[in-house]
Amino acid sequence: MAAPRSLALWNCCGRRWSRAMRGCQLLGLRSSWPGAPLSARLLSQEKRATETHFGFETVSEEEKGGKVYQVFESVAKKYDVMNDMMSLGIHRLWKDLLIWKMHPLPGTQLLDVAGGTGLAWVLGDAEELPFDDDKFDIYTIAFGIRNVTHIDQALQEAHRVLKPGGRFLCLEFSQVNNPLISRLYDLYSFQVIPVLGEVIAGDWKSYQYLVESIRRFPSQEEFKEMIEDAGFHKVTYESLTSGIVAIHSAFKL
Amino acid sequence: MAIVLRAVLRPFRWLPSRPRPAAEMLFRARSDGVGLLYPHHIPTSPLQKVLLAAGSAAMALYNPYRHDMVAVLGETTGHRTLKVLRDQMRRDPEGAQILQERPRISTSTLDLGKLQSLPEGSLGHEYLRFLDVNRVSPDTRAPTRFVDDEELAYVIQRYREVHDMLHTLLGMPTNILGEIVVKWFEAVQTGLPMCILGALFGPIQLSAQSLQVLISELIPWAIQNGRRAPCLLNLYYEQRLEQPLRALREELGITAPPIQVQGLA
Repeated sequence: MAAPRSLALWNCCGRRWSRAMRGCQLLGLRSSWPGAPLSARLLSQEKRATETHFGFETVSEEEKGGKVYQVFESVAKKYDVMNDMMSLGIHRLWKDLLIWKMHPLPGTQLLDVAGGTGLAWVLGDAEELPFDDDKFDIYTIAFGIRNVTHIDQALQEAHRVLKPGGRFLCLEFSQVNNPLISRLYDLYSFQVIPVLGEVIAGDWKSYQYLVESIRRFPSQEEFKEMIEDAGFHKVTYESLTSGIVAIHSAFKL
Repeated sequence: MAIVLRAVLRPFRWLPSRPRPAAEMLFRARSDGVGLLYPHHIPTSPLQKVLLAAGSAAMALYNPYRHDMVAVLGETTGHRTLKVLRDQMRRDPEGAQILQERPRISTSTLDLGKLQSLPEGSLGHEYLRFLDVNRVSPDTRAPTRFVDDEELAYVIQRYREVHDMLHTLLGMPTNILGEIVVKWFEAVQTGLPMCILGALFGPIQLSAQSLQVLISELIPWAIQNGRRAPCLLNLYYEQRLEQPLRALREELGITAPPIQVQGLA
């Protein structure tokens, strides 16, 4: 989740937090997109290959993992630059807020899934984490869960690897609540973002996927229900920037 | 409030109108391919084309190695000019044949072995030598994406693929100076906005000495030849590979450059 530069930002803006972060056991999880294990999970008895969405396209569930993998392979080089350009740096504020909510202390066992750039990492699958049960104090996922094929499985895994009393935190794009801002946001998303992707990264399609996948993601309330279905309690959410993103928080009891 | 809003939003009339509630199909081709006019086609709204044109122009200036940006600039600004080019191709017998048969220049369509065996001094042989010496390949031309007409998409693709043939005809290498000279020639020949912009802004990166040579000798020569020669998009190069280059140049009225631009052996 953290871009290397936002770590530096924290050092300036909140010395207490940066010291706390360094004290934590911070483990980032880069998602892998395995073909075989995913299929193995799908084929429970006579379950047929079902379809899902890839942005506004319809693809088979087996395909989705691979296609998302290709998107992120493609955007990896310019990932941080593009995030800054697209959000005008605001993504750093969102991530700062997530850390602030988390209030990590020295000794906190923290798992950050879909880590992106900047952390020491372990390769794994969000739907099948390579960790034992009840291991972590905090599980975070920032702008990652949207891309997982089976969000419910990722949530269940999050629940499993958290210690009792552990906290789940998710920062993700969500639904805008204000109609005027929604119109402007749609305009910006569909007219400007793919153009930025083409000009800066030479990649229109990945950024088209990005803005479409945002529209496909459940609303704040729907996602809250999904988190509850995974066994979490005290599920709350906070919308940021008129609902462009939201932070969902939950606890394993 | 509503009146103010309407006034603000009026200029956005020329954006594609969105079906409520979501911007699902906002000028995007469907996943089953309907709406795509040709492979690699990405339909774009007028606003997107304007943004792309501005962005690609800026990026091409900022980073001259972004050849893809030059291509995007050409596609987003060339629609009207491509129509004119296509129409004049239709009126020319050889050009009409090209539009009909849609030949492509790539390592898969050109028999490089056969080119090698052609007599020295022939178009095919000299073209191959040009590719070797400058270490370029016809396969690096990006496919057209942002032209919303499938015949015009072919015309700009053909223009792109014929570019190296122009280098060969004009005897210009692929360094900055050589490229600018070819751009001036192409600007006069095609009138494509991207060629005109490239011709005018390309020289910004040149040294004073090169600039002097460019302005005093090479540009006048390029313009003169560009005006004198018939439209070079009408040449069916694939059928003229055996033709001696010298004879072809004579046929087209292309004279030797006033100065040997270094790079081409």
